[in-house]
Amino acid sequence: MGRRHRAAAALALLLAAPAALAQDAIFADGFDNRPEGPFTRAEAQRFLTQATFGPTLAEIDRLLAMGYNAWLDEQFVATTSRQLPFLDQLIQADIAANRPIDVWQDKRQEIWWRNVLSGNDQLRQRVAYALSQILVVSDQNGALEGNPTTLAHWHDMLASGAFGSYRTLLENVTLHPSMGHYLSMFGNRKPDAALNIRPDENYAREITQLFSVGLVMLNADGTPVDGNPAQAGVQPVPTYNQDTIRGFAHVFTGWKYSTCIPPNTTSADPNNNLNWWNWEYCSSQAQSVSGDQDWRLHEGWRTPLRPWGEGNTVRGEVYYAHEGTKQLLNYPGVSLPNGVLPSSSGRTAGSRARHDLGLALDNVFNHPNVGPFIARQLIQRLVSSNPSPDYIGRVAAAFADDNGAAAGGTRGNLRAVVRAVLMDPEARNLAQVPANGGKLREPLLRVSALWRALDARSRDGRIREGWPEVYGAQAVLRSPTVFNFYLPTYALPGEIANAGLVSPEFQITTDTYITRLTNELGGKVYWAWIGNTGLGSWDPVQVDLSRDLALADQPAALLDRYNLLFLGGTMSAGMRSTLLAHLNDIAPNSWEGWRRERVQDALWLILTSPEYVVER
Amino acid sequence: MATDHRRDFIRRSLATLAGSAAFTALPAKLALAQNARPMLRGAGIDYRALVCIYLYGGNDCFNMIVPRDAGYAAYQATRTNLAVAQNALHALSPVQAPIGGGQFGMHPEMRGIADLFNAQRAAIVANVGPLVRPVNKTTYQQPGTLLPPQLFSHSDQSVVWQTPRADTTARTGWGGRLADIFFSSNANPTLSMNVSLAGENVFQAGQTVLPYFMSSSGVERIGMIETGAANCADGGQGWNRRRCLTFNALQNATYAHPFQRAYANRMRATRETTRMVDVALATVPRNDPVFQPFWTAFGLAWNATNPPELPDLGEQLLMIARVIRARDALQMSRQLFFAGIGGFDTHDNQLTDHGPLLRQISAGLKGFYDVLAQPSMALTNQVTAFTASEFGRTLSNNGDGTDHGWGGHHIVVGGSVIGGRIYGRMPNLSGNSQTNPDDAGWGQIIPTLSVDQYAATLATWFGLGATDRAAIFPNLQHMTGSMLSIPGPDLGFMQAV
Repeated sequence: MGRRHRAAAALALLLAAPAALAQDAIFADGFDNRPEGPFTRAEAQRFLTQATFGPTLAEIDRLLAMGYNAWLDEQFVATTSRQLPFLDQLIQADIAANRPIDVWQDKRQEIWWRNVLSGNDQLRQRVAYALSQILVVSDQNGALEGNPTTLAHWHDMLASGAFGSYRTLLENVTLHPSMGHYLSMFGNRKPDAALNIRPDENYAREITQLFSVGLVMLNADGTPVDGNPAQAGVQPVPTYNQDTIRGFAHVFTGWKYSTCIPPNTTSADPNNNLNWWNWEYCSSQAQSVSGDQDWRLHEGWRTPLRPWGEGNTVRGEVYYAHEGTKQLLNYPGVSLPNGVLPSSSGRTAGSRARHDLGLALDNVFNHPNVGPFIARQLIQRLVSSNPSPDYIGRVAAAFADDNGAAAGGTRGNLRAVVRAVLMDPEARNLAQVPANGGKLREPLLRVSALWRALDARSRDGRIREGWPEVYGAQAVLRSPTVFNFYLPTYALPGEIANAGLVSPEFQITTDTYITRLTNELGGKVYWAWIGNTGLGSWDPVQVDLSRDLALADQPAALLDRYNLLFLGGTMSAGMRSTLLAHLNDIAPNSWEGWRRERVQDALWLILTSPEYVVER
Repeated sequence: MATDHRRDFIRRSLATLAGSAAFTALPAKLALAQNARPMLRGAGIDYRALVCIYLYGGNDCFNMIVPRDAGYAAYQATRTNLAVAQNALHALSPVQAPIGGGQFGMHPEMRGIADLFNAQRAAIVANVGPLVRPVNKTTYQQPGTLLPPQLFSHSDQSVVWQTPRADTTARTGWGGRLADIFFSSNANPTLSMNVSLAGENVFQAGQTVLPYFMSSSGVERIGMIETGAANCADGGQGWNRRRCLTFNALQNATYAHPFQRAYANRMRATRETTRMVDVALATVPRNDPVFQPFWTAFGLAWNATNPPELPDLGEQLLMIARVIRARDALQMSRQLFFAGIGGFDTHDNQLTDHGPLLRQISAGLKGFYDVLAQPSMALTNQVTAFTASEFGRTLSNNGDGTDHGWGGHHIVVGGSVIGGRIYGRMPNLSGNSQTNPDDAGWGQIIPTLSVDQYAATLATWFGLGATDRAAIFPNLQHMTGSMLSIPGPDLGFMQAV
């Protein structure tokens, strides 16, 4: 068994890799491979580039020994590395020491870095990062910028739900206080004709446009449905219209913090008992907590929103629009007749808002677009900017039914979706990657890959990397708008756009940021290394060069190692000879730092090279 | 050796340009127009620039320009708790009333623009928005009427505003297409005609021209290869020369993947341009007293040693003013700038959040105009600034904010603006969506001028001829008839220079 697979691997290798690179250092395995692979260290490296925050030598060998399936199964049940406990611990320490609480968004970035650099739930964190760019909230928002804990709780919600049901995730997203504030669903009121007030449409619009179905009807493979085949070109069919947005806007009314004081009696007298200020100024602090609690600890910011008046059978949910029908999404096979949500006024007061929300989210979740719409974006974040329709179709099929062709499967199981994204032939087999496949690496992933590959750490274990958007134009949960750092459809003008390709990450590769990131990687390689006395008391994350300094006098071996770690063995012969000449030019003994200079130059020149920056 | 390398580098750049699909994909009409265009070569001759101020999120222009006569009652009834107080408005005294009459005032935070307007250095263009064909309430409600795709969506409407091609999904901007025609007017072949202070945008993306991106704090070089005595391409012997040569060799290699080529091209163009801009900016320091009007406009103390930081849009406009002042060193005679600020998506907290944003626009543009008016600049007639935003907001109110609308008012500032006038017709502000003839259905106002007309008027002033205009704005030909407040390709708010 093992022998046959090794033979297959050797064949794949001949097809996929330049012969000059078929060197033992990269491709030797010595393990009894699992039937699904990986069969080489290079294959393992490539998989880990897509599934983690960067390959390490140890993880490459571990994956090679385990096989993809065992590795995935391990990752699917790995305990979530959470953010909130870290922030809470810092807050409590400040409180105990009786000093001002110094916990802001940079501390949230710190625990994100710590988890993605050293957490054992690499795949979970990587998928959470992808989801955070689809289901966007951001600290660039007045209500959230001073509140790192609610965003940490949000991220923990994404991470723990990364392999769960997309329906559950949609509900958690909808009712999270961070999202409630970010897209103003929190405190959204039912209409009041006398005051010319109608429900806020913000969340209604974005949950449909960005989080689920998108603007136009899609085929099962993600291509747009052609509304009129008789006419030249594709005539897109809109998924919804303004009536639909109004319908959803009416559903998303009446919700406040779980900690709010509801209408305060069961009496039916509307004049005495409707304390509107309890709605308008309701507190996020739990009523059981006495005294003034810091807002970063408030229960209301870390528990799902609740309809104001839920459970009150007399007054009901006072600000919820239960009267009237609501047009929701209408699509083939929709379960509500014509996609219309009936009025819930006949239902028991106090049970309407949540009931209608459930039906509305089912209406969104079951739309046939959701599979291909989410599939494309997850593939873009993990594997390739321009997946083929077949690839999207296969992943969308896993979304539609996690049991494949067999009956009895479940819709929206993200575990099945992530497995389909990563195990697809177009993701796994380099020989099947289209000529334009792959993607531009995201700035944060370029930094994390360097740090993981070189076991970077600070002296005291803290991570002072709170504002990476300064050099990378991105930081987790810090997008400038709900449209993320880049659009999934962004096409760089010129050759890429003219070829009909998209290139999301190029949207932030402006003159300013290409320079800053190139400089930043320089600083992280040439300056922030363990043992650099020039750092003084400054204690940033520092790369550990010691392992590779041992290869400094063997430039070819050093390049082999970096070719594996960073390029999965795909370094071109031209690039290799250029680098080799460069390293040999740094003559031994010309000055005491020549070893380090060789290692640092190799690192920085590779990390800034077009071959590395575009991952295939 | 190094000289050869340099020559190689240039040859390679030219080859890349000539061989790229972008060049061959240039529409035939444009290519023809290009042959016939006037060549405006030479440094500093006949300078002209447009400055786009993009308001991300959809500006609530119905609170920016408010009736100050009897019309205020309808406005107040519609806007209720969001209404701006009548007695706080800055009165606008137009030399010519808008179509349909009415007296208006500017938001209390917009003193600077009101002053420019009353001095006839600024104009207001009323109720502009994306259109495929002119529409009114009746035709809007008829099936089959051609409408812009995905009305009320941020991402789509911001694209349509900048292209303006409401009939297609094309993603080149009108500023980019303009630059495709005019870029060779500049003696400098390296620096893009289009400079963005606010990152990537559709407005400046052409078929061949890509914008140059800088930040309001200036430009930066790549420290590991561009410090030292000289950079490697110039044959210097700086300490990092060897690393620089290898870096260049890797960037300049031939690549099979279009993303690799695009990345290497951007890296190469960035470094070349940055070197040039860096040198030029050093000649126009931030603390040059000529820029003091910015601090005056923002009500901040001037300090010649280290002037305090201005609000975001102020810093962007200041950097634009510096680049304009360095136009001779940069050998630029035609430029398109892009600045932008976010935060206009005021679904909630509108009363708190909107005023400071309007203040940035007003003080920023007032400071910018006053700098251009300084004797040593004397460029007010050569530079025109204008606002853009994906949509106006709903007349109706969601409790403490407004939602995505359609048409909106815009501001044009400059010495070549036929100012002190409101162009077009102000919409009916009645809150009754059913009976308000301008209301598409939920407080979303149907535009009575198209973005095509607005943009084409500015482009014509910039120097665009009638033939090219038809090629760049193909929908302009449909912008006729009585549903528009002003029909035709030119709204008349710009003088010929």
